[in-house]
Amino acid sequence: MKPPAFDYVCARSLDEAIDALGRRPGEAKILAGGQSLTPMLNFRLAHPGMLVDINRIPGIDAIRDDDGGVRIGTLARHRAIEVSDSIRKKFPILTAAAAHVGHLAIRNRGTFGGSIAHADPAAEWPMLALLLDAQIEAKGPQGARTIPAREFFTTFLTTALGDAEILTEVKLPALPAKTGWGFEELSRRPGDFALAAVAAIVTLDGKTIKDARISMGGVGGTPLRAPGAEALLRGKPADAALFEQAGKKAAEESDPSNDVHATADYRRHLVSVLTRRALTSAAEKAAQG
Amino acid sequence: MSPPALRIRCARQAMAARSLPFSPLIAARPQKEFEMPTAGPFGAAVKRVEDPRFLVGQTSFVEGMVLPNMLSVAFLRSPYAHAKIRSIDVSKALALPGVVRVLTGEEAIKRCKPIRVEWKESKFEVDFKPCDYPAIAVERTRHVGEIVAAVVAENRYLAEDGVELIEVEWEPLPAVVDPEKALEKGGTLVHEEWGDNVMLHSHIRGGDVEGAFRQADVVVKGRFAMNRHCAAPMEGRAVVANYDAAQNGMTVWTSTQMPHMVRTKIAEALDYPEHRIRVIGPDVGGGFGLKCHIFPEELALSLLTLDVKRPLKWVEDRRENLYGSYHAKDDICYAELAVKNDGTILGLKTKFIGDVGAYTSYPWTPSFEPLQAAMAVPGPYKIHHVHCEALAVATNKTTSSVYRGVGLPAAQYTMEHILDLAAAKIGMDPAEIRRKNIMKSSDFPVTSVTGLYYDSATPLESLDMALEMIKYPEFRKEQEAARKQGKYLGIGISAMIEMTTFGFEYWRAAGLKSVTGYDSAHLRVDPNGGVTLTVGTFNHGQGHPTAYAQLVADGIGCKIEDVTFIQGDTQMTPYGWGTWGSRSAVAGGGAVIKASEKIREKMFRVAANLMEVSAQDLELKDGKVQVKGVPGKSMTIREVAQATVYTADVPDDDEPGLEASYYYKAPTPYANSTHIAVVEVDPETGYTKILRYVVTEDCGRMINPMIVDGQIAGGVAQGIGQAMFEHHQFDESGQILTTSLMDYLIPSCADVPPMQFGHLETPCPISVGGIKGMGEGGAVAPPPAIANAIADALAPLAGWKPIGRLPMSPEVVRRQIA
Repeated sequence: MKPPAFDYVCARSLDEAIDALGRRPGEAKILAGGQSLTPMLNFRLAHPGMLVDINRIPGIDAIRDDDGGVRIGTLARHRAIEVSDSIRKKFPILTAAAAHVGHLAIRNRGTFGGSIAHADPAAEWPMLALLLDAQIEAKGPQGARTIPAREFFTTFLTTALGDAEILTEVKLPALPAKTGWGFEELSRRPGDFALAAVAAIVTLDGKTIKDARISMGGVGGTPLRAPGAEALLRGKPADAALFEQAGKKAAEESDPSNDVHATADYRRHLVSVLTRRALTSAAEKAAQG
Repeated sequence: MSPPALRIRCARQAMAARSLPFSPLIAARPQKEFEMPTAGPFGAAVKRVEDPRFLVGQTSFVEGMVLPNMLSVAFLRSPYAHAKIRSIDVSKALALPGVVRVLTGEEAIKRCKPIRVEWKESKFEVDFKPCDYPAIAVERTRHVGEIVAAVVAENRYLAEDGVELIEVEWEPLPAVVDPEKALEKGGTLVHEEWGDNVMLHSHIRGGDVEGAFRQADVVVKGRFAMNRHCAAPMEGRAVVANYDAAQNGMTVWTSTQMPHMVRTKIAEALDYPEHRIRVIGPDVGGGFGLKCHIFPEELALSLLTLDVKRPLKWVEDRRENLYGSYHAKDDICYAELAVKNDGTILGLKTKFIGDVGAYTSYPWTPSFEPLQAAMAVPGPYKIHHVHCEALAVATNKTTSSVYRGVGLPAAQYTMEHILDLAAAKIGMDPAEIRRKNIMKSSDFPVTSVTGLYYDSATPLESLDMALEMIKYPEFRKEQEAARKQGKYLGIGISAMIEMTTFGFEYWRAAGLKSVTGYDSAHLRVDPNGGVTLTVGTFNHGQGHPTAYAQLVADGIGCKIEDVTFIQGDTQMTPYGWGTWGSRSAVAGGGAVIKASEKIREKMFRVAANLMEVSAQDLELKDGKVQVKGVPGKSMTIREVAQATVYTADVPDDDEPGLEASYYYKAPTPYANSTHIAVVEVDPETGYTKILRYVVTEDCGRMINPMIVDGQIAGGVAQGIGQAMFEHHQFDESGQILTTSLMDYLIPSCADVPPMQFGHLETPCPISVGGIKGMGEGGAVAPPPAIANAIADALAPLAGWKPIGRLPMSPEVVRRQIA
């Protein structure tokens, strides 16, 4: 299990990295935390001609407050997010989800931007980026652009990023008042990829649901929102029967497949249970806050 | 034939001889009445002397070995489950700079005999078919992962690049994947010369099973599919082979459990003088039975180093470990149990179909998996009428062989789970049905209905102790209260009797000439009283450097730290059979005790001569040889050693030097245990959490209780792996789907609950020192304890339903009620 030969470039700036990527279009891969890429290299599932190492680029790992929301630099390690006070205060759902990202050793090395750009449908950060309507910023030979999360994840392990584009920062916009969250994930063992995961946020107006968002992981080619279930919830009083119904709707909207760990049917069943639980938890928190 | 009366001193339970209803298949050799060793380090919970070195990384694993001019080896492995090799073109690989040599099967078979086990005569009723298992495939491959070529290169990167450049023209053939379909006539044959796919067929019969079933009030039936899994040691297999011109021979370092056997087989396969091969087993990072084989890779590297005259290294990577080393425990079990309404078991019928994969492993053959299951299935219960059938069926899957417990997990699951099914059917508590049928200490010795000679055991006492520890009646109340709050708790019991050591008479009865049941120890005392112990067993985590030193210290009066422990180097150690089958404490420990006795006797002769007393008047006390009752009149161990080895002040008719060897034909003692699990199941998702876990164990005299606890705990972790996680899966074409630890799940520390242990200590009447083995029971008993607990938890929702397949993934559990 040794990787095939590749060229290696250690970039010192984003421009240098973009330049290197542009010289070998389609052949170069970005090396960030290496938690997915390195195993793929060692299994010889990936044969990139060149690796562009971005770990030495200064200033792209910051977690910054921004207009009530936060901006997370692409090279921020999972662990930095897990222990960030700012994130715990503004997006505690990220703090809770971070504990599900691999194991501590993986969280110390793996990066936020790397996880989103890798776009594993069962990973936590892509589904939360989708839930929180993140603005994903990228820089390439043609300059910088912002891609809404809803347009970012195109298909299995594939994103809207171009060959020589680098994800630079992710902006999470502020959440409205009276908003609560729920995060439910089931995996075979702690730290494994989710069999199914559901994240929800609920905004209340009194006892009425003003807005609800549901994002699902591990049950489709990309992380998925559940627009039908979200629509079902809006404008209705929060109660157990409604959440049960929304769970069933979300299950219909999921698109899981079979693998060695579980069948599609079971995963769909989990979506319905986990959606109900996530919504219940989110509504409780919204009522308190 | 009844074994003669056995008597021991110091037994906690008196063992009375009784008439035996069955004739033993495996004869017991009664041990002469022996003195229990003095109260010394034998039995003390001392910390392991070898641990600090491992904890700080001062180890000697094969991976860490560096020799000058060393080359690396990588293997091309078959991508097909079953295929003909039309042609192999290695020219591009050979042209790659850095590649030194490529070896294919066509060339290898001319110089390396295939692995083969013959098994013709046996006291067991077995019908076995042998097959050739070449080190490198010739013309045909029979499972994904089988070796097709070896590439030798300057480093592992280049060797793997070379592997990618080999061009093979394949002709895929239909693969046989399902063992039950493999039994149907007219299908694909794994070995055409057999005429079918049956490697082994055996029947074990006792009593009048049909008569017993006719008297039954209730007959329950089940089909239980065990999960194909594997040992997955932290260190995979690894070999360094080095032709050494100075010795005109070769040295092979290999991560093995049986270095002497490996040497003998390399010599035979290559037709190379055995005395010019030195096999060294360095530190081994886990074996669990996987590493007690001769492997194709060991033969290939030995052959290649003779060619290239340079040291070669191959370290198995995790993917190779998961699909290219051996799998295990893939059995389908059919069972019928006949009971009376009062819970009395009348008879048992079982059929174990072992899916053993493509080839015959050496020396065991994979067929011991279903065969052992059939022999062991009645367990600790008074069952007098059985028919147990065993079939080992070849398929186009990775070869399956022995792994901790060998057959016992399938037997244990079958017996313990169907017993709960019977209890549910007649409305009896699972603890009660066990108490009704289980044997108690005064029932032993006894020959089981399948012909096993149970020397001594405490099944009822162990069960009662475990029920007490788990607070069984209180739990039932807690469970009732929890149910009212929508929480589903369950409790499951698994009581077992554990065959250990597999001694001399066992292999003689089996008739399998590839393995023998003795082991060896050699002791040498230096002039300053230091002791060098060399042994034929092979510690790979069991604590032998400590446990054996405790026995030596007990036997000759030295300190534990005075003992230097040497193993695993065929040039330095007496021939022995390594470590597997819960054998070393009994076989190796017995040899150590007997060799120590010889040393002690000589020390007494020398000391008696010098102190001018009779040797009968001497005793060992506080590290001295002293005249009984005269504390002042003594010699230290060091003084005796000086006199014997250095100054040769020995009696005229004695020789100088203080050395002794012992080769011990070991017996086959039985340990016993009870496991109880308490679980909580989330019925909506099927997720199961083990809340409490209790084990009570009787393994005879414990050499070191701390090591015993460690063996149980490690075993339970593996048992939980079988119960809930580990599963090698294949698609219909025979392609393996679980080739990384992302898909092949082994339990992590977060998945293993805290455990409580209880010990009974019934000295074994047939072994030296009263010792029994106990290395495997911990891994065997957990699956049915957990299954019974889950079924119990879910009973209020859909009635008590048996769980027909492992592992009990959340989905499998959820499907019990939905």
